[in-house]
Amino acid sequence: MDGSGPVVAFWLLAAVTLVAAGGVLVSRNLLHAVLFLILAFIGVAGHFVLLSAEFLAMAQVIIYVGAISVLLLFAILLTPRAGRDNGETKAFPVGALLAVALAAVFLFVINDTNWKTVSESPALAPEALGEALLTSWVLPFEIASVLLTAALVGSIMLARTAEEEAEDALA
Amino acid sequence: MNGIDTVGPQLSVLGAAGLILVVDALMPQHRRMLPFIALFGLIVSALWTVSWVGRDFAPADITTFDGTFSLDQYSAFFYFVFVGITATVVLASIDWVNREGRGQGEYYALVMTVCSGLMFLSASRDLITIFLSLELSSIPQYILAGWGKDKRSSEAGIKYLLVGAVASSLLLYGMALLYGATGTTLLDGIGAYVASPEAEANRGLLVLAMVLLMAGFGFKMAVVPFQMWVPDVYQGAPTPVAAFLSVGSKGAAFAVVVRVFIVALGADLLSDDWSMIFAILAAVSMTLGNVMAVSQTDIKRMLGYSSIAQAGNFLIGLAAVSGGDERFTLGASGVLLFVAAYAFTNLGAFVAVIAISQRIGSDQIKDYAGMWRRSPVLALGLAFCLVSLTGIPPTVGFWAKLYIFNAGIRADLGWLVIIGVLNSVVSAYYYLGVARQLFTGGDESTERVPTSPSISLSLGAATLGVLVFSIIPMPLMSAARDAAEVLTK
Amino acid sequence: MEGWGGVAIMVALGVGFGAVNVALSYFAGPRHPTPEKEAAYECGMPPVGDARERQSVKFYLIAMIFLLFDIEVAFLGPWAMALRDLGWPGFIQIALFFAILAVAFIYVWRKGVLDWGPETDPDYVRPPKPGPAVVKRYNYGTGN
Repeated sequence: MDGSGPVVAFWLLAAVTLVAAGGVLVSRNLLHAVLFLILAFIGVAGHFVLLSAEFLAMAQVIIYVGAISVLLLFAILLTPRAGRDNGETKAFPVGALLAVALAAVFLFVINDTNWKTVSESPALAPEALGEALLTSWVLPFEIASVLLTAALVGSIMLARTAEEEAEDALA
Repeated sequence: MNGIDTVGPQLSVLGAAGLILVVDALMPQHRRMLPFIALFGLIVSALWTVSWVGRDFAPADITTFDGTFSLDQYSAFFYFVFVGITATVVLASIDWVNREGRGQGEYYALVMTVCSGLMFLSASRDLITIFLSLELSSIPQYILAGWGKDKRSSEAGIKYLLVGAVASSLLLYGMALLYGATGTTLLDGIGAYVASPEAEANRGLLVLAMVLLMAGFGFKMAVVPFQMWVPDVYQGAPTPVAAFLSVGSKGAAFAVVVRVFIVALGADLLSDDWSMIFAILAAVSMTLGNVMAVSQTDIKRMLGYSSIAQAGNFLIGLAAVSGGDERFTLGASGVLLFVAAYAFTNLGAFVAVIAISQRIGSDQIKDYAGMWRRSPVLALGLAFCLVSLTGIPPTVGFWAKLYIFNAGIRADLGWLVIIGVLNSVVSAYYYLGVARQLFTGGDESTERVPTSPSISLSLGAATLGVLVFSIIPMPLMSAARDAAEVLTK
Repeated sequence: MEGWGGVAIMVALGVGFGAVNVALSYFAGPRHPTPEKEAAYECGMPPVGDARERQSVKFYLIAMIFLLFDIEVAFLGPWAMALRDLGWPGFIQIALFFAILAVAFIYVWRKGVLDWGPETDPDYVRPPKPGPAVVKRYNYGTGN
């Protein structure tokens, strides 16, 4: 981790992520907001690479950039009559003020804190991650699979049409 | 694989959920069996927990799964509460689900999943496990709230989902900051760091993380100022689901908050701050909840606002944990006692509402007038639960209030207790107002309101629990005390 | 951070190739725009109606299912990398993980979420295979 390369990469990625995240907020067109969001996801994946967490970067690209953005785009595609623009909100000035205040508090605290720094490379290699997932963290790991199943059942339940339900109830 | 025994109660609940889904998908002709599979799983789960009673939990049990999970009296106490709640809800839902016809397997499977999530939540000792358990209990609840196809139910589902997502993100941010400060996600590790001298330098960060955790859990506890979703969701969600939300999600949130704040953030460095914040939240929640509940005409909305006020009562116990010689124990056991008492009382009230509103097709309080003549059993059950919610002696609600107010006075929170007592008077106005409606007025209809066996059983179980612990509250109190002592050992 | 130089070169090559080609055709290509050429589809039917018509929610369900099983597969990676260290306990745990999702799969399958087409119609009966016994002769109405 020496040289200025990582530092330059960090600031570049930070700029890309933040600008994209801002783009999500300000773009009036929902489709553009989703595209900005994808860019923000990619920026986060870049940060994971910088932290030597290659597996997380890969998962970020596959799951967020790949699957979740597709889901978001489908959601826009499937709501034909709804407006596709970000709605205007009366609470904007208050929200902006609060956000700035909150950001100030966070920046102050982050600057004030004596952060724990890790000197050696953290164990984020896929094999170490796999071992951690299936030994120490096996309980959350299995809970995650139950959660996925429940979410799947629920989303199907909510999205089914009345005819399909009637057919199923008769079966 | 010593873990199997540790998570047995959850496994039997989840196993039943999986079986329900598979039976529903592969053998649709046996759908009538589904609630009984659910009840069977819950009974196995309860028996499994019973097999631990009287066991002296060794430290090895307390830190299973490398410290992410625990097996102790504290979690066992909540297992009983959640299994009881879920069994009552399943019984109370049978009629409604059969009438609705659709999604029978999915409904019971999701209710069971929520139950397992609540149980995991009360036993987690690690931030990652806590977060995943919280989501495991929340996401199926969002879906259940939006179960009905009408507009109100969809509104309830969407509102609950959005508010819940915001809460989860606040919670995650708080957890990330805690991890950044301490370098561990285990509650014990965080607790050790907060108690160590080096934590002084990072007090700002720890306070910020603490406030974010409070906000995130505050939504689940439904205390002011994180309460705005409650009335709409309770009113819009199907009544059995609203009953489940009002006790399950709230109880588990308090279970995890008590554990997180005592074990991880219990050191003097932070405990004075959070007990003061909780005291203020308690006062505001009680007052706002009760004042808003007075003017409600819809009984589900009224119960929603009153549940906010009740959450304020729980918070007195949390605020009281940082004072007195019996540091933590009295306040924490007060919260546990109150959660258990409130769970069955509120559930009993909701079950009666389910039974009545199914027949008369209305949730308006004025339509409940004269219910005494139409269905004496339901009216008596509902009135009894409302009296207990008010805290009139000698009901279990009274014992819980007495206990928690006592904890407050011992912790020098006399002002908070006075507010609590005044609020009890206000709550008496609307709780007893409904009870009075049940017995007077309403001459226009004398048509009887019949009840089905399953609803009667469910109401009977809930009110019997309330009755038994009203007469002999000592076993419940000592169980709550034993459970709370685990955290302070 | 070692070994990412190659990736950087590849990204640069990929982006560069696309950018150079677009730029080349922009600057060097001849342009004679006509209304037909400006249309979104230069050949084929003229577009009719609004493109944003109502789509089946099945698309969304398929995407949702894809997402969930995508996450499942992503979890396989770290396990496979640590396969030898984890041994049988690890195998049992990942098998449990998959068993839970298998319940989801049975559910999705039997509830017909993956069915896409006329088979979902309960009255639809697959026609029997044509054999000598079932061959029918039709009279296509020539009158005699």
